[in-house]
Amino acid sequence: MAFRPRRAMAVFWKDSLDLRKNVGLLLSMAVLPMVMVTVPIAVVWTYVSQPDHSDLRTVALFYDPTLPLGASAARFLIDKSLTDWFGMFLVMPVFIPILIASQSVAGEKERRTLEPLLASPVSAAELVAGKSLAALVPAVLMTWFAFALFCVGVDIVAWPLVGAPLMPNALWGFGVFVLAPLFAFFGNGVAVLISARVSEARMAQQLSALVVLPLVGLVGGQVAGVLKAGLAYYAIQGAVVLVLDLVLLAASIRLLDRERLISRWG
Amino acid sequence: MRRPLPTPRAEAPAEGGIRVRGLAKRFGARTAVEDLTFDVRPGEVFGLLGPNGAGKTTTVRMLTGLLRPSDGDAHVWGHSVTHDGESLRKVVGLLTEQPGLYDRLTARENLRFFMKLHELDEATAWPRARHYLERFGLGGREDDACGSFSKGMRQKLAIVRTLVHDPRVIFLDEPTSGLDPESARTVRDAVAELASEGRTIVLCSHNLAEVERLCERVAVVRRRLLALGPVRELRRAGQALDVRVEGDAEAFRPALARLPFAPNVLLEGGRLRVMLADEAQAPDVVACLVGAGARVHSVVPSQRPLEEVYLDLLKDEGA
Repeated sequence: MAFRPRRAMAVFWKDSLDLRKNVGLLLSMAVLPMVMVTVPIAVVWTYVSQPDHSDLRTVALFYDPTLPLGASAARFLIDKSLTDWFGMFLVMPVFIPILIASQSVAGEKERRTLEPLLASPVSAAELVAGKSLAALVPAVLMTWFAFALFCVGVDIVAWPLVGAPLMPNALWGFGVFVLAPLFAFFGNGVAVLISARVSEARMAQQLSALVVLPLVGLVGGQVAGVLKAGLAYYAIQGAVVLVLDLVLLAASIRLLDRERLISRWG
Repeated sequence: MRRPLPTPRAEAPAEGGIRVRGLAKRFGARTAVEDLTFDVRPGEVFGLLGPNGAGKTTTVRMLTGLLRPSDGDAHVWGHSVTHDGESLRKVVGLLTEQPGLYDRLTARENLRFFMKLHELDEATAWPRARHYLERFGLGGREDDACGSFSKGMRQKLAIVRTLVHDPRVIFLDEPTSGLDPESARTVRDAVAELASEGRTIVLCSHNLAEVERLCERVAVVRRRLLALGPVRELRRAGQALDVRVEGDAEAFRPALARLPFAPNVLLEGGRLRVMLADEAQAPDVVACLVGAGARVHSVVPSQRPLEEVYLDLLKDEGA
């Protein structure tokens, strides 16, 4: 069956419209970016407000025992925090599509709208494409918007100490514009896959949300000094997620097969 | 006693319409439907009857390309249900048991979505949608969220959605469920009108009075086909003869029992109710009574309502 972009766009149009009218979901989606932006700004502000605090040097030496004596521990910790926080920031493009896609796929079952939808000419691939776009576009746009706020906030707060704009830097630029869409695709793929297997949107959300745990674990490893984050480190993460995305895409199309969905949930 | 009923038979394949041959569906070890064979002509309203869990929904799902048959094949308006899923779904309209509307979207947005899925030009599809909206009393409510609609309004909007792409074959599952009598009548009129335009309509309903009013033919299924034929013929299969005789009617039962076709005879209000397999048996009944010395006052043939025939069929099948 030929892929018809018009039908995929119809699904995208409907899901986007539905999302715009779902105030509860929009509010729950807004919470995470607020946290992701305000927490690092607050951390940077803490360092900037007491740059000469003796404890800062102790913490900085824990992470880098070779830190030169004259180097600013506060500046070092700001750079380290920003690099490490990026791993946490990636939770956002993973989590937002999970919120949306769980609603849009398992929600169709809950609302009993799945059968009329599947009785239309739309194909499984068009359905996956439309629903994925409807989850990915807001997730990526929100990530970029949060990133813009984050850059402005960090630069304003750090200016008294650094005297120059810290953000955006190469790592964050690469991460937000290359890795974030890949991670968003991953979150969406997991949610679509799980939504196709369970009957309730809430259950799909809860199960899908578990995929952020490895990301949080990696950030934990960075903070504990076990993992050293950098451009290469995130590039490897991106490559792994890209492979997972392709696997999830194929599995989603297979699982959104009419027969499976209808005989299981219709 | 089991009365002979019209049996499934292969009819000439319709050019449009629906042609079903040996259709079966199994879910693992469970057989939902087996060996269904029937035809539905263009312009016909066809009733698909059966108790809950009889396989009606599974049959409709196979005929709308939602489920693949395990065996057999069917053609819906010339499209094979096993090979032409996409083109099949373009020509069929399906009204599901639940309206399945998007509550946060308005009626207009719900309809636009399905116009887009069918890749319709909205400039030409909207007048048709508006026509049905007006007809079903939803005119002026296009921009209200469906979540604010009553059960009946939701049902009517779902019917409009079913018709929005001008389908040639329409499957309606309990179309008047939740509707007030006036709206139900409007829907029935619309169904008859759609059929008169040459569309094939398959009606699944437990409202047998409605089926009797709308359908030319019906199929009774319980996993397999129990009966198939014109409603008139099915009712005739359950024909009865009400005979009023002078004196004690009970006294003539033994005589009737000796008839070669041994009809089932009931005594109802002093009258004999003789169940016949065929109306041609009526003269034999009268002759038998007269021969036994009865003074026959009146003989009134009566057809049983479809509901009674249907329930008997299921009872016989269960026994």
